[in-house]
Amino acid sequence: MAGEIQSQGSYEGNDDSNDQQSLRLRRVSSRATNQNYPQFNWSSPHADEDKDEEDNSGPRRELRTVPLPMALKRAVRQVQQMQIPVVSGMGSWKWKRRRFMHKLKDDGREILSFFTLWSRPLQMIGGNFGGGVQSYFLFLRFLVVLNFVSFLLIAGFVLIPSIIFRSVGTSLVNSTGPEKCTNYDPNPQGLVVFYTYFLDILSGMGFMEYSYLFYGYYNNTMVENSNFSYSIPLAYLFTTVFYFLFCLICIIARMGTAARVAVATGGNAVGNYSMIVFNSWDYGCQGDRATKLKQKNIHYRLQVDLEEQRIKKQAAALTPNQRIVLLCLRVFMCFVASGLIITAFYCIFLATNFSQQRSGEGGILGLVFEYLPSIVITTGNFVVPLLCDQIALIERYAPSTTIIVALLRAVFLRLVSLGVLLFTLWRQITCEGDTKSGDCELCQYNYKVYPCWETRVGQEMYKLTLFDLLINIAVLVLVEFPRRIVVDNWSNKLAQLVGRQEFGVPPNVLGLVYGQTVVWTGALFCPLLPLMNAIKFVILFYCKKITLFYNCRPALKTFRSTTSAFFFLVVLLFGWGLASVVMIYSLAVIRPSMACGPFRFFPNMWSVVPASFYSLSKLSQEFLFFIGSQAFSIPLFVLSCVVMCYFIALASVYGKNVALLRAQLKLEGRDKQFLVKQIAELGRQLQMTKHNTDVQD
Amino acid sequence: MGNKQTIFTDEQLDAYQDCTFFTRKEILRLHGRYHELAPHIVPMDYTNEPDCKVPLALIVNMPELKENPFRNRIVESFSEDGLGNLSFNEFVDMFSVLSEMAPRELKAIYAFKIYDFNVDNYLCKEDLEKTLNRLTKEDLTPEEVDLVCDKAIEEADLDGDNKLSFADFENMISRAPDFLR
Repeated sequence: MAGEIQSQGSYEGNDDSNDQQSLRLRRVSSRATNQNYPQFNWSSPHADEDKDEEDNSGPRRELRTVPLPMALKRAVRQVQQMQIPVVSGMGSWKWKRRRFMHKLKDDGREILSFFTLWSRPLQMIGGNFGGGVQSYFLFLRFLVVLNFVSFLLIAGFVLIPSIIFRSVGTSLVNSTGPEKCTNYDPNPQGLVVFYTYFLDILSGMGFMEYSYLFYGYYNNTMVENSNFSYSIPLAYLFTTVFYFLFCLICIIARMGTAARVAVATGGNAVGNYSMIVFNSWDYGCQGDRATKLKQKNIHYRLQVDLEEQRIKKQAAALTPNQRIVLLCLRVFMCFVASGLIITAFYCIFLATNFSQQRSGEGGILGLVFEYLPSIVITTGNFVVPLLCDQIALIERYAPSTTIIVALLRAVFLRLVSLGVLLFTLWRQITCEGDTKSGDCELCQYNYKVYPCWETRVGQEMYKLTLFDLLINIAVLVLVEFPRRIVVDNWSNKLAQLVGRQEFGVPPNVLGLVYGQTVVWTGALFCPLLPLMNAIKFVILFYCKKITLFYNCRPALKTFRSTTSAFFFLVVLLFGWGLASVVMIYSLAVIRPSMACGPFRFFPNMWSVVPASFYSLSKLSQEFLFFIGSQAFSIPLFVLSCVVMCYFIALASVYGKNVALLRAQLKLEGRDKQFLVKQIAELGRQLQMTKHNTDVQD
Repeated sequence: MGNKQTIFTDEQLDAYQDCTFFTRKEILRLHGRYHELAPHIVPMDYTNEPDCKVPLALIVNMPELKENPFRNRIVESFSEDGLGNLSFNEFVDMFSVLSEMAPRELKAIYAFKIYDFNVDNYLCKEDLEKTLNRLTKEDLTPEEVDLVCDKAIEEADLDGDNKLSFADFENMISRAPDFLR
């Protein structure tokens, strides 16, 4: 052992050893210390025809991944190339085909990377700002693609048939209903001032209300020719339901890859220090200033960990009295934080009520009233987390717990504030849930204020989306650029204290999740919203990229990129859950408007499905009845339970396996040490007996 | 694309493609960068395999490596003479291993070599101390450095010999998905 280490050490200092000798020495050392480096199998992989399938999977695959110096790899490759004619005819054809497939795959990958959206900007972002920030942009790209594909879905099944039927002039299905309920005329009357067009674009009313953008414009055409039948209401319903399921499947599929990584790495508490030492440098390319910041960052993280240790020690050393005091303080602060959040919700409730009462007013003031809920939500989402941060300082949790608590509070605030807005609207539409009272008695919804309530809900979602985009651009132009100009040019202590903007990943991701939840909620009422959202996210990508490169400095506290990808998707799933609750409620419970939309004469939206069911062929009816019956669903349920139990058992077995192997590694190391000691001991005894016999002789 | 380039023969390019993770274009681009480092040493025509090395001092000034605290160790690990003078073969090899297409196992092997300052095939405490000092530019106090190194070895050492062999290192790296970045 010592000999090899010496020979390896010696070649470093030997300047006039030529290439071949040093190559040989390196090979010798790598072969000798074989517990440290993998071996290269010099035996020809083609000789054995039984292992044809495996070893022939590209000698190029093996060569690239072998840690040998380049000249050696080329020599190996030459040797392998010369051995090819030895293989029999069948083997060589297989090898050639495999080589061709590999080449095809490589070329295909090159072409595909050309089509991947934004791969070069993402690489630049990751290289300059690290994995955490890059994960935000990857998430944004995923949402853009999801929204665009959803739009294609909706366009193909709902929008284009509607356009075709409208232009062809197919007749509507008419039915009787109370006269007052079918009264709906959104077109502006009389002469319209020009600037109202601009206001209409911003608020979704006026000329934009009766257009393909909103639910109210779609008709309930049901075409039934001899060889072709298409029902717009059915298509609308199924497209929306399928859109939700499609988004769910995409999110779960993406979560699967992230979750696999998270599970494979096991517990995250173990190995904290070694992780920081070996993994924390992100090898970016930004200049000197960024390097100093990275060093400060690593320093900060180590200090945070040491601090956590100290806090844990302190917490363990608290007297019971102090512990009770701390607990009371924490409970109280929790109440304060909840109180703040509930205050924000109440403000949103008031603002929505006020806005709905004063809707229809013209001019700029009317526009402000329209946007009042959005303004209140955005202000709340900005102010309340700031206050909660101050509260967290008093609560004195460990740093990692503080971050998690802050994130949970922010997520709760964002999603539930949207829920409060929807709840307020629902109260007004259904007269506070009591559809038999007052204004709602005639049509089971408040037809006086909402002749077409779906369009009104769609307009609210439209306004939320638009306002979100406008606020982002406004913050970029009015806050971030001036901040940078002030900090760079004004060498004041205050300016240096405030410093350049930091790109905070969690708040930005929550903004994306909020935007996507709004789109999901509004998709049933505003079919073009996914397209709008895709365009909005594309604009957002470029805006955020510009602000990242010009205005931001790398963050002091980094964000773990791989576990965070999983976390983003979990939060997105919460948003999806909220939106699907809204959709199910709208489909199943509330009566659709009688004055507009494709479901105007159905008691609820879902009832179009049973109505069309009986127009299917007898065979399909029986098949669908069978699927819905107990004879099918109960065995299916039992089977899924069995499969799930199997996977859980498999996962636990793997976990136990890993623990066993780790223990075995430890034991082997100890065995080795024990044997080495034994050998040393025996050697010494041998020496002593030899010495004794020498002395005796 | 075309075969108009005269820097390498086709067999050389095929050999490079097989032995690294790069495509033809990328290999040619790498040669351009290599040539830029030392235009008077590196010839444009590589068809007859000239034997020239670019010294360490020029390579560590590349913008990709300049800010890296381990730049010297990285270049030394890939050089044959151990002093950091890279021929084009070693240059391409280095970037191939550092590229994002290289598998985790390969990167782990070379990462171990890079962190092993005294080249004894073990990461002992001195190696870790040097690593930590380079990472934080010696902002930590000696006691803190000591504490962190002890804890790091304690966490990762499986066979109890107070230093990290390659098996320990690889086991620890396999639990860190961020390693590839």
